[in-house]
Amino acid sequence: MLTLLRNLRRLRTDVALQAPARGRSLAVRHVDAGSCNGCEHELALATGPYEDIQRFGFGIVASPRHADVLLVTGTVTTRMREPLLAAYNAMPEPRWVVALGDCALARCVLASESEVVGPVESLLPVELRIPGCPPSPATISQALIALHDAIRS
Amino acid sequence: MTYRDRIAAALGDGCRFAGLYASGERVRVVLAAPDGSLRLESAAAEDGRIPTIVDLAAAAAWDEREAADLYGMRFDGHEPLRPLVEHDLDLQSWTVPVRGDDAYQVAVGPIHAGVIESGHFRFRVVGDRILHVDARLFYKHRGLERAAEGRSLAEARAYVQRACAACAVTNSVAYAHACEEVLGLRPSAELARVRTILLELERAWSHLNDIAAVCAGAGVAAGNTFFAALTERARRLNERLTGHRFLFDSAQVGGSALVLAASAVASARDELASIAADSKSGWHELLFNASFQDRLPDIGAVTPDDARALGAVGPAARASGVAEDARTHSVRLAYDGFVPVAPRRVAGDVQARLEQRAVELLQTFELLDALLDRPIGAAEAVSGGDGTAIGLGVVESPRGATLCAVEHAGERIERVHLRTGSYANWPVLAHAAAGNLLPDFPLINKSFELCYACADR
Repeated sequence: MLTLLRNLRRLRTDVALQAPARGRSLAVRHVDAGSCNGCEHELALATGPYEDIQRFGFGIVASPRHADVLLVTGTVTTRMREPLLAAYNAMPEPRWVVALGDCALARCVLASESEVVGPVESLLPVELRIPGCPPSPATISQALIALHDAIRS
Repeated sequence: MTYRDRIAAALGDGCRFAGLYASGERVRVVLAAPDGSLRLESAAAEDGRIPTIVDLAAAAAWDEREAADLYGMRFDGHEPLRPLVEHDLDLQSWTVPVRGDDAYQVAVGPIHAGVIESGHFRFRVVGDRILHVDARLFYKHRGLERAAEGRSLAEARAYVQRACAACAVTNSVAYAHACEEVLGLRPSAELARVRTILLELERAWSHLNDIAAVCAGAGVAAGNTFFAALTERARRLNERLTGHRFLFDSAQVGGSALVLAASAVASARDELASIAADSKSGWHELLFNASFQDRLPDIGAVTPDDARALGAVGPAARASGVAEDARTHSVRLAYDGFVPVAPRRVAGDVQARLEQRAVELLQTFELLDALLDRPIGAAEAVSGGDGTAIGLGVVESPRGATLCAVEHAGERIERVHLRTGSYANWPVLAHAAAGNLLPDFPLINKSFELCYACADR
């Protein structure tokens, strides 16, 4: 275990993460509305040791009740329409919707028309669009920082 | 011989059930023989009805339920034929009834607490003890197979690939194999080598990710972070080699455009050797971390008999002592002399599934080191065979054997069906959870680490 922790300290030095900016805080609830799992894997690594979005004050929270941001991946399937709306309706205001990845933005969606409702913005007001197939952890991190700074200003 | 007799005979010959799907008015069953060859049995439905084979092959249960929901097939003798993809139905119709004192339900999902794909689990519990779980997936059903119909063989690959990012190479290669069988092509030695490299790169990041996930499930933050860092390095290497962190579009039908000069191959080898060394050292720490190891045994155990009967595949099957790996017989790939590895303790539990991945990972690094011994050039499939009406491909994904079936009319897809390792293992996971404690389910789930996307499609 000590070796693991030592390795992590070395990793921190090697990666040379920037010092976190002060005063940021965003609680993010992720909803997979019909993705291919690529955006999930990249979002998970955005919280990992290389990108570490927690250092900017961003956290993935367990409930929409605690969330400032609803981060939606995938094109919205007919079966995820209701759960997505329920999660949005459970959020306190003010709240922001972020569409993550090309499918959520209706770019290059592969699906049968009858099985999908459409892009996130056909159901919810989208504040921020993060393109990519899938967007890399660094792209996700930078976009969330930009969103936070836009909200604050 | 009747349809059922033919299936029974094939199973009696030692074949493994590899998939069932509806195609027009017919039902097709794919069986994998012990030597890796594939047998296809077809039968015509009468007025949409056909006898079930679920009593012969329990692994066919989800396939028949899917064919019933999406293609209107009725399977005589499959009682009750519970809906699988169809969601607009009351609880009684899709769950197994559990009655008795103090039995109550816990509903989880489709939205989960972390960064997890969408899916619903209906637990029947007494206290903390799980009596039964019904997994309701297909929240992410995008109708990919239907959407691919009518496209050209080259176009439809994208639909199969994008069933799942975590299995993108596997799905593409299984699809390419099926198409090449249809077209009377076989991969050249160089094409087989390139595809094998891509498949093992996919397995490398995936297994690193899955070890990190089990650490997270057991609350070992240091192990999780350590292996997450290695996952990131593996994905960065993917991007350097193919331009995409998940290797998207690197495997194509009929050839490969990937070109890597000697210097690129050599630096990839160095990086892989470094990741391999770090993952060995990290695994060594986990192996001798007593509190972590104490958390893993005897949870979510699957017996060898149950693994076989339920059609478990991949690391989950091998951890239960079913030493099957599609790489052993992959004549279209460069796995000459491949022998599956096994953990020291083949107990079919969380510990065995974790260790299975750790030992397979080392094997993957060795394979990659050997395959990357020279530059990679563009490669083509070559003529070999007459072509067929239906093409089949089976490839070992990080989660187990994945089948792709392609039926075509000229240059157009009439039907494409994908049955991934995750699809095969979801019912096994539900079975493994029964009898365990509800708070152990996340750990059991992570020890299988199945994709929802490639089951839902």
